[in-house]
Amino acid sequence: MTPVLQARGVVKRFPGVVALKGVDFDVSAGEVHALCGENGAGKSTLIKLLSGVHPHGGYEGELLVDGRPAAFRGVGDAQGAGIAAIAQELALVPALSVAENVRLGDWPSRRGLIDWGEARRDAREWLGRLGLDVDPDLPVERLGAGQRQLVEIAKALRLRARVLILDEPTAALAEAEARRLIALVRRLRGEGIAIVYISHRLEEVFEVADRVTVLRDGATVSTRAVAETDRAALIRDMVGRELGDLYPRRAPHPGDVRLELRGVSAEGPGGAVRAIEDVSFAVRAGEVVGIGGLMGAGRTEVLMHLYGAWGRRTGGRVLLDREILDARTPWEALGAGLSLVTEDRRRYGLILDRPVGFNLSLSTLKDLRRRGLIDERAESALNQRDVDELRIKTPSLAARVGGLSGGNQQKVLIGRARRSAPKVLLLDEPTKGVDVGAKVEIYERINALTAKGLAVVLVSSELPELIGMSDRIVMMRGGRVAGEFSRAEATQERLIAAALGQKEAA
Amino acid sequence: MSGTKGIGREALREWSAALALAAIVATFAVLAPDFLGARNLSMLAIELSNTAILALGMLLVILPGHIDLSVGSGVGLIGGVAAVLVTRWGWPAVGAMAAAAALALGVWWLMGKLIVSQRMPSFIITLGGLLAFKGLFWLVIQDATVPVSPAGAPNLYARLTTTYLPPWAGWALAAGAAAWLIGGWALRARRAESDGTPYDAELGFLKAFLGAQLAVLFVAVMNGFRGVPLPTLLLAASYLAVSTLTERTAFGRRLYAIGGNAEAALLAGIDVDATVILAFAAMGAAVAVTGFLQTAYAGASTTTVGDLMELDAIAACVIGGTSLMGGRGDARGVLFGALIMTALLNGMTLMAVSPEIKYVTRGVVLALAVWLDTRLSKPA
Repeated sequence: MTPVLQARGVVKRFPGVVALKGVDFDVSAGEVHALCGENGAGKSTLIKLLSGVHPHGGYEGELLVDGRPAAFRGVGDAQGAGIAAIAQELALVPALSVAENVRLGDWPSRRGLIDWGEARRDAREWLGRLGLDVDPDLPVERLGAGQRQLVEIAKALRLRARVLILDEPTAALAEAEARRLIALVRRLRGEGIAIVYISHRLEEVFEVADRVTVLRDGATVSTRAVAETDRAALIRDMVGRELGDLYPRRAPHPGDVRLELRGVSAEGPGGAVRAIEDVSFAVRAGEVVGIGGLMGAGRTEVLMHLYGAWGRRTGGRVLLDREILDARTPWEALGAGLSLVTEDRRRYGLILDRPVGFNLSLSTLKDLRRRGLIDERAESALNQRDVDELRIKTPSLAARVGGLSGGNQQKVLIGRARRSAPKVLLLDEPTKGVDVGAKVEIYERINALTAKGLAVVLVSSELPELIGMSDRIVMMRGGRVAGEFSRAEATQERLIAAALGQKEAA
Repeated sequence: MSGTKGIGREALREWSAALALAAIVATFAVLAPDFLGARNLSMLAIELSNTAILALGMLLVILPGHIDLSVGSGVGLIGGVAAVLVTRWGWPAVGAMAAAAALALGVWWLMGKLIVSQRMPSFIITLGGLLAFKGLFWLVIQDATVPVSPAGAPNLYARLTTTYLPPWAGWALAAGAAAWLIGGWALRARRAESDGTPYDAELGFLKAFLGAQLAVLFVAVMNGFRGVPLPTLLLAASYLAVSTLTERTAFGRRLYAIGGNAEAALLAGIDVDATVILAFAAMGAAVAVTGFLQTAYAGASTTTVGDLMELDAIAACVIGGTSLMGGRGDARGVLFGALIMTALLNGMTLMAVSPEIKYVTRGVVLALAVWLDTRLSKPA
């Protein structure tokens, strides 16, 4: 049988990175094909390519729909061909009603005016097919996560979707809702819809999928029938990478405990779902403690909470050099000796429109003050020193930081964090979107800092990096610590099992 | 990367305001011969001071991504409060102005506080201010005309816009400014030579020399009428204060950082809220100074003082290359922008252009200036 949708040898390059290195993938009508892989393995890129987000011409290889070459210029073309992706961040307008969202951009009209009666009828009918009975006039923001997802799926099916791409559909759902969604996926498969199912939850893959493809580092590792494989094989495929000399972590000589969390709990603004609960770990001087876990496990929240930038403390305490630290704002944290390199450097780290020098000294303006003015000579001397030491490749200190490559932007952030002479450095995905050469330079910088007695907390989604650079690893799951591993104990299999909340894979 | 074309664009953008100004001046010089006369230029200088001081304050608010629509009403209110204190309550001018200025600082500090603590858009809060201050203003002056000094006894308040420096003082000032500019250049050039930092000494000298020439020319023209007007000194002081604040202090860096990316600024350890409140307080100071100048220039506090001045101030910022999104703009550009707005209004008044056409022209010039700036700042 001809697959409904097929990708053949697709290669997708971004500046400095090859995200997909020749991936083959296909899905047939009435089939659920699961897609697995670590964060950064290329799943999202592949989905975007399949659903027209990355338009034709921006990649090599070919896409086939019903066996015929397809050239999507955008999402619209893909939808026209019957392909709909339900992303993790749903494409709904929260303030609009369910009916408005189901017919978003395609409102039924009668004599130039929107026919709301028809829209409501239509929405109710499609949602009814999915087993969702809600008032079509209710604004989408009043719905739960699971209901919103159904609204999105209804929207896709109404557009005659033949291929439904579900990106971690159960990640935001409670258990009961997840069960219902899985049942729905089965039903849709029975109705002949082809489904691409991305999930970190391996048990779901085994429950719902017919075939499973594992991606790693942008390449297809394996495509197997689910009936003929097992969990251990999948995990092996997902991680099976040898750690080379990429990670130059030297054995530390840890000193006294610098940072200690004792049963720290905190909740997000407005009592949001995201929270961290009863988190305990300690970091010694000269030590790198890695924090791993899936997206949404609470890793970033722990760092941001320590830094005074997220959440309200509901329990536990934090000690810095044996003294209680209760930073409620980043400047308090900075003053106490914490420094943070954020995960999303373009969004939360840099002032992109401003020069390299401006960004380097932004956290330490106070130290540069002389008689109320900034001592510009002292400033540019320090900035120049950082550019030289960190080998930041920039035309000059006055060049816009937004024009630098990802690796060099990251080095600017590390330079800024280092400038405040911190006791503890918090690094959130410090090598995300950074090429290999710059990665190694960043690792060496981490080594140099810990050699001086700094304590480092390293959040990373890349297991090899976590294992290669950490002296100890704390795995998180659902806002809690799911396990702590010494360097000797940490294998990728064990860490993944902890992140997924399973017993160790046999 | 983009080669000479990019550099040409950048230079064109940097000088676009100056070019526009030159075009306006040339047009009026032909159409209205009195435009370049010493008497008119002296008036122009006073009008410029009123607009530019307010616009410089506005820059401090716009840089971190905010806006203040209430300043026009505020100018009327604060000038009116001082006038009422002098005329009705018999306060000495200095005391009345000090009290009114303290009021301005307090009110603007409070608005800033409200905006950051309640997470309300500054547009809304200051729109409320625009209306409320207008009403309070009319209450304070009881819809009457309140002179700035008791009849026949000009006080300091009244003299704000009628005082001119004697010629010798003007020349001394010009000499001082020239020495300061050239001296600053020499110091920078010597430093650059000693530690090898790149500095275009020739261009630097040209700029300093041009500045010195302008200072001398300005004093020569002003002395051709009554001398250097006092408001221009206040403007010079405001300009120095704002350009130093924005370019040389931690406060200024924080303003740019907040406007460029508020979340990143917060995580870089900047107390975003406190910085924004300070910017509004500084705006309050500018409102007070402008309030006194504008009211004194009118001779009395009347219900129309300050009308639409918020829009002139915002227009001056925008024409001068300030981004309403925040994070971009500088004092020099704002000064040029204010000069363009003032020269346009002054020239048209001189030509007896009808008020209707004046409004239309100013609107068109504003839109044109912004269009030009967007075009030139688009990546090639």
